Amino acid sequence: MIHRALAACAFALIVMSVPSQAADIQNIDLGKNATVWFAEDHTVPIIAFNISMPAGSAYDPAGKSGLASFAASMMDEGAGDLSSKAFHEAIENRAIGFSARAERDHLVISITTLKENAPEAMRLLQMALMKPRFEADALARVKTQIIQSLQQDQVEPPRVAGRAFASAFFGNHPYAQSSIGTIKSVSSITAADLRAFARRHWVTNGIKVAVAGDITKPELTKLLADTFRPVPNTAPPALPNIGRLGKPGVHVMPLPVPQPTAVFGLPGIMRDDPDFIPGYVANYILGGGGFSSRLTNEVRVKRGLTYGVSTSLTAYSKASVMMGSVATRANAIRQTVQVVRDTMSTFAKEGPTQQELNDAKTYLTGSFPMAFASNRGTASQLGTFQRQNLDIGYVARRNSLIQAVTIADVQRVAKRLYDPARLTVVIAGTPSDGRPAPQVPRPPVPPSEAPKPPASVPATAKPPATPEKPVPGPVTAPQDTQKP
Amino acid sequence: MTGSRLAAFTAACLIAAASVTALAQSGDRSKLSAPPPVNPRQTGNNTFQFALQNGMQVLVIPDHRAPVVTQMLWFRVGAVDDPPGISGIAHFFEHMMFRGTKSVPGDQFSQTVSKNGGELNAFTSHDYTAYYEQIAKDRLPLVMRLEADRLVNLILTDASVGPERDVVLEERRMRVENDPQSLMSEQMRAALHLTHPYGRPVIGWAEEIRRIDRVSAQRFYNRHYAPNNAILVVAGDVTPDEVRKLAQDTYGKLPARNLEPRSESAEPPRMAETRMTITRRDARVPIFSRLYRVPSYSQARPGQAQALETYGQLLGGGQTSMLYRVLVEQKKLASDAGASYDGNNRDAGEFSIYAVPRPGVTLQALEKAVDEVLLSTRNAPPQAADLTRAKTGLIASVTYRRDSQMSLAMAYGQALTIGLTVDDVNEWPARIRAVTADNVRRAAQSLSRNQAVTCYLLPGGSK
Repeated sequence: MIHRALAACAFALIVMSVPSQAADIQNIDLGKNATVWFAEDHTVPIIAFNISMPAGSAYDPAGKSGLASFAASMMDEGAGDLSSKAFHEAIENRAIGFSARAERDHLVISITTLKENAPEAMRLLQMALMKPRFEADALARVKTQIIQSLQQDQVEPPRVAGRAFASAFFGNHPYAQSSIGTIKSVSSITAADLRAFARRHWVTNGIKVAVAGDITKPELTKLLADTFRPVPNTAPPALPNIGRLGKPGVHVMPLPVPQPTAVFGLPGIMRDDPDFIPGYVANYILGGGGFSSRLTNEVRVKRGLTYGVSTSLTAYSKASVMMGSVATRANAIRQTVQVVRDTMSTFAKEGPTQQELNDAKTYLTGSFPMAFASNRGTASQLGTFQRQNLDIGYVARRNSLIQAVTIADVQRVAKRLYDPARLTVVIAGTPSDGRPAPQVPRPPVPPSEAPKPPASVPATAKPPATPEKPVPGPVTAPQDTQKP
Repeated sequence: MTGSRLAAFTAACLIAAASVTALAQSGDRSKLSAPPPVNPRQTGNNTFQFALQNGMQVLVIPDHRAPVVTQMLWFRVGAVDDPPGISGIAHFFEHMMFRGTKSVPGDQFSQTVSKNGGELNAFTSHDYTAYYEQIAKDRLPLVMRLEADRLVNLILTDASVGPERDVVLEERRMRVENDPQSLMSEQMRAALHLTHPYGRPVIGWAEEIRRIDRVSAQRFYNRHYAPNNAILVVAGDVTPDEVRKLAQDTYGKLPARNLEPRSESAEPPRMAETRMTITRRDARVPIFSRLYRVPSYSQARPGQAQALETYGQLLGGGQTSMLYRVLVEQKKLASDAGASYDGNNRDAGEFSIYAVPRPGVTLQALEKAVDEVLLSTRNAPPQAADLTRAKTGLIASVTYRRDSQMSLAMAYGQALTIGLTVDDVNEWPARIRAVTADNVRRAAQSLSRNQAVTCYLLPGGSK
């Protein structure tokens, strides 16, 4: 009974309606080289803002890695006539969610507010952008928080592996530097550095704003125009182009931990390359699809080697990387990396089956509306599209682009992407397979960038004895919360 | 008791008398708040409840913003139900629920959900286990059939149990053994709950995870998984009547089973504070941490848990809290500090405090400063502005929660599985609003060091 019913569903073509909010994403023109997209919805009395500026960590000056991220962490630490304490109170008195983080290319500010507090939230944002105080007290406190967080990172395998991978993979480009910086670079950052960075980079030229929620278009237009009118509109500097990507081989960063992490990667596909969408589909099949992926099946389901293995295809403005990670016990890490390599190699040779391609398409298109099921989700998804320089019509077009991908496309792209001989692998931990640990020197540049960008305010220590959270279930790979 | 709730109670009793004798016998499992009626009945601003003939409770939360639904199936079983010597089996078993039935073999459950555009996962706590899918609304019948199928038809084999046990051991290495703060929390909780199973980690002790086998997993399934032990929560682009019809056609076909009562654990009185110092090579930053055993929402007198919640927010919720202000900003002894109350448990709740010293500050000096703040909250009620801010934050969190189907479904599912009612969830903002400065001071006074574990985590040579 159930079997037949399931079979019927599996073969039914999912005709996914375009998400209701996506159907009318509105454009708002503020002038000033600003891009504003708006999804109006009055179901819940809140408004979510996702604001991006080309002010990410790739713009950190030499020797000052971590500056963009430090500046982002200082954004709620006092501005204009408000001290740090007064700024925090202004936010929390109205339960405004206000956070900022530095990605590689962008500073991303997320603001969530009850509708009645939107004007106050935007007033605080304007002050934070234009008149940051960077007072000595707050600066010293945040600096200590960042440095303590970096100290703990030094013994966390995913962090160590992620930083060493970026350093090896991106060579001399700023992308090789850690977003959070190093203990040395962060220690050297001064108020003058922060002020200069904010003055130069926190401008409206190139700003992207995505808004979803309980406000009308005229109200929002006026609010944003008032907010951004006085913010300088100077042109932000350009990033350097990048050379060769990758440093093939296995690099070991010894760490005395029970479970090493391996981070691995290959050159990816740029966002404006017509192969990006086929590449995204290929990545879903190999390692992006959580429980459905070939890697999960080979490494976890068949062999019980890991709790989670996944890969992602990420395009930055100057480079793209297909990156993955896996963690397992010390005596199985080399075997696990070999299984990853073999799985990749088979996929590059044979490409997907028709069934895998069909399943990938129905997942990627069918799950798209879920990104628009909340105001925060919608703002965040629109912000992702904006940072990738997509046009407003992309939201409506996106599923048909995925539908159009053919098996030949994925075969071609899989060959292009997955060449195990070029794989850069970093293992953080101490493989115990009888062989002496290979002598791979620490990368010349200070260790860099963990796979996941840190939160803006570096949580020195997550509250250690908070109640035990429910232990999540079997699915571990990120199921694209941000859709391509 | 209001009239409407009395009517609901009567209706449910009739069903129980007719067909679900199991409920009457299993005191704990029938510890359902106000048993809901057969037909969907509005029980809040935007919540509808009913029960199936087999005793399964259903809650529907309509949200029509996107053509998407969230289905969560909650079971009144969790790590407290792990048999002695096999900690971790409830969580392990949750993994096994993705390992196949006769008609949906192997990993077809997750494959089918994915290929239909859905997301899925599950989670286990001490008190409950929940499974969920988020999917296009026209796929709700599909995921209901899938959940109903594995509720009764799961196949456990040695070939699937073995690798999954290794997966869970890797999960434990990742979550706990690689992370000194997690290890610290595990040790503190083990010391806090003298004999209560809240002292055992949900994921289990490694030695005991290794003992899990097919037979123990099968026994666990037979003992705890039945429709009369489940609560279905559906949020999203649906109507209560649609859900009722679909639920009857799927879950409604499953027979209720006679379940043994859940074992109840006593909580022996604590006579003294427990203190511990953990020194680890993989800890790079010292931490001061304290955990108090306090009443939970299900145990507390009216208003008591809300006062603890408000006190937690005032004392340690964010950068305007007392601990942050005094320890981090004024005295500059700490780089971070916080506190929080977690009362969403069937048995005891927890109140936790932590602080991270700035370089050169000893944990002794930090603890002394923490205790001075705690003393000040016992001696004087909070400032009006601080109390207002704390309550504003807590109340706004309920509005923010309405933005997400999953958060809403979580809030109601959790409340119902730990023995609270929909009213408890809906009235929570009003009850927080009613908390007075004096209530908060009494909450502060109620924290007793005899009911606490204090831990210093120190970086050091030995592992």
